[in-house]
Amino acid sequence: MVQTATATTPNAGQQAVSIALRGVSIGYDKPIVEGIDLEIRSGEIMFVGGGSGCGKTTLLSCMTALRKPLAGSIEIAGVDLAKASEEDIQRVRRKFGVMYQLGALFGGKSLLENVRLPLEEFTDLDDRAMDDIARAKLGLVGLGAHAHKDPSEISGGMQKRAAIARALALDPPIIFLDEPSAGLDPVTSADLDALIVALNRMLGTTFVIISHELASIFAIGHRFAMLDGARKKLVALGAPAELRDHSPDQWVRDFLNRVPTAET
Amino acid sequence: MSARNDGNASSFAGEVRNMAHATAVRVDTSNGMLRVSVQGALTAETVGAARASLVKALPTGGSSAVELNLAQCHELDASGVSIAVFLFRLTKSAGTTFSVTGIDGDRKLLVDLALRGQEPVPAGSPLGLVREVGRASLFIAHDLYDLVRFIGELSIVAAHVATQPRLLRVRDTIGGMARHGTDAVPVVSLLGLLIGTIIAFQTFDPMAKYGAKLQVADVVAISVVRELGPLITAIILAGRSGSAFAAEIGTMKVTQELDALRTFGIDPVRFLVIPRILAVVLVTPLLSVYATILGVAGGYLILGPEGFTLAQYIDEVRQALTIGGFLQGLAKAAVFALLVGAIGCLAGLRTGQGPGAVGLSTTRAVVTGIVSIVVADAILGSFFYALGI
Repeated sequence: MVQTATATTPNAGQQAVSIALRGVSIGYDKPIVEGIDLEIRSGEIMFVGGGSGCGKTTLLSCMTALRKPLAGSIEIAGVDLAKASEEDIQRVRRKFGVMYQLGALFGGKSLLENVRLPLEEFTDLDDRAMDDIARAKLGLVGLGAHAHKDPSEISGGMQKRAAIARALALDPPIIFLDEPSAGLDPVTSADLDALIVALNRMLGTTFVIISHELASIFAIGHRFAMLDGARKKLVALGAPAELRDHSPDQWVRDFLNRVPTAET
Repeated sequence: MSARNDGNASSFAGEVRNMAHATAVRVDTSNGMLRVSVQGALTAETVGAARASLVKALPTGGSSAVELNLAQCHELDASGVSIAVFLFRLTKSAGTTFSVTGIDGDRKLLVDLALRGQEPVPAGSPLGLVREVGRASLFIAHDLYDLVRFIGELSIVAAHVATQPRLLRVRDTIGGMARHGTDAVPVVSLLGLLIGTIIAFQTFDPMAKYGAKLQVADVVAISVVRELGPLITAIILAGRSGSAFAAEIGTMKVTQELDALRTFGIDPVRFLVIPRILAVVLVTPLLSVYATILGVAGGYLILGPEGFTLAQYIDEVRQALTIGGFLQGLAKAAVFALLVGAIGCLAGLRTGQGPGAVGLSTTRAVVTGIVSIVVADAILGSFFYALGI
């Protein structure tokens, strides 16, 4: 990537709320985490993390309207996803893009076709205009020269970047990333961090990143929301370095300082 | 939205309007330089119309350089920047220079990033058809090469296993016989019986015109024993077992199980292919005989109600059949099984990457398998005829 990733914390007071979670409980038969109150600001890079099994991927499913929370409200663009009709949910889905852990690119389609797909489905643009837009998005993630490749022909890191390009296809104001660094080497992971920072700064896109990759959280995260499956609640919210050094919660400090637990 | 020619060949302009604001695209040419200026917002909402306006206004003559001026563009997003990509690719294919002016900071970075690695617009080639034919020929040649190579590899491994029987996966072979033989009995029964019945039904009236109603038994016996019994069994085999071989081995390849076998020093052909092929080669002739018996019995379902006794029918069938004809059917069934098994396994081993690859291999196994069966049937039929069998 062209630049080094650095986190520049946006001015909290002046920013509109992009996603608002109020009293949210998530889980399946039983709640995994309860009473989450969280406001994600417009233009923010927000990390959501915690230990394995703490419910972060379930929370992502709720925020992307793939499942309903057990209780509470999740508001995006003025719509409460917990109570919204399918029509309203479809409308809200245009406001965000999602990059899944393994990229979830459509096999048998080139990268260009993958990025074009949302444009074909949701715009009236002509064929060549869609091509140019898809190429621009691939260029932004550094894959301009690989537009005609199949997802199986590129590396895992490139697949994730292509998935970000696809998430950007309709220029949504919010992008959710599920474990973007998982399975990547540290350099590729740092490249991806730099890309997120560049897109955040250039486009003002809000990034909600599900991850427990500490290097990325400290490098580019404006804020970190930490879930604890054992206590079934949101245990910390704030600037990552601040939480690491000054959180009143010992477990949060240990987690962010990578202190082994007694069992290990 | 409108595009306007000012009357002066060196200046064109187009304007795009949307609800919130207007976007104007101006195209000027001077001293061989083409200058495109955008005024207003260049975003996902306006870029489609802006691009259409630009395409309409672009002069047909070549320019030595193209400049995109975004000084008056007050809003630029990741879709809007595709205008730069469009002009950049156009100039790259024409071999002219391209520059973007009037922006700096993050906007410049946005444009620079979007232009990275973009390829020129491909020129249409009059040799397109020739190239496609060549490409298809190479593909077929590659397929044939793979098939020949696989047959060679299979023969070597089979010879090796024959000399050292302990290398044969006996349990897998017996399991395969049960799965691809016993489990296929219901469908073979149904189709075998119906095929004999249908032949008798369709030939009864024409034969009756010549007073040869009982000779319908001859038609049924000869066609089912020599041709249709083995053919129907093999087609069922291609649909059930050939596709299963391709899917099983293909999935193993996608999930790197074949690599794991190789790293253990285990040859996948010996471990996976030989037991499967042996199982179907052993079991298919038996299934074919079973289908044949039911097919012949199916013929009596038509002749019985017409007043012929079972003894008459069996006697007529016995006269029509020869040992040579019966052996011909058995030999065909074994060859068909070999083809279906080998093609299914080869399709599995050649599975590519990606979620669609296994499906593609399965389709290839079934289609190639059925085509091969019919072609082999024609060749073997001619061969046995020449031998007088």
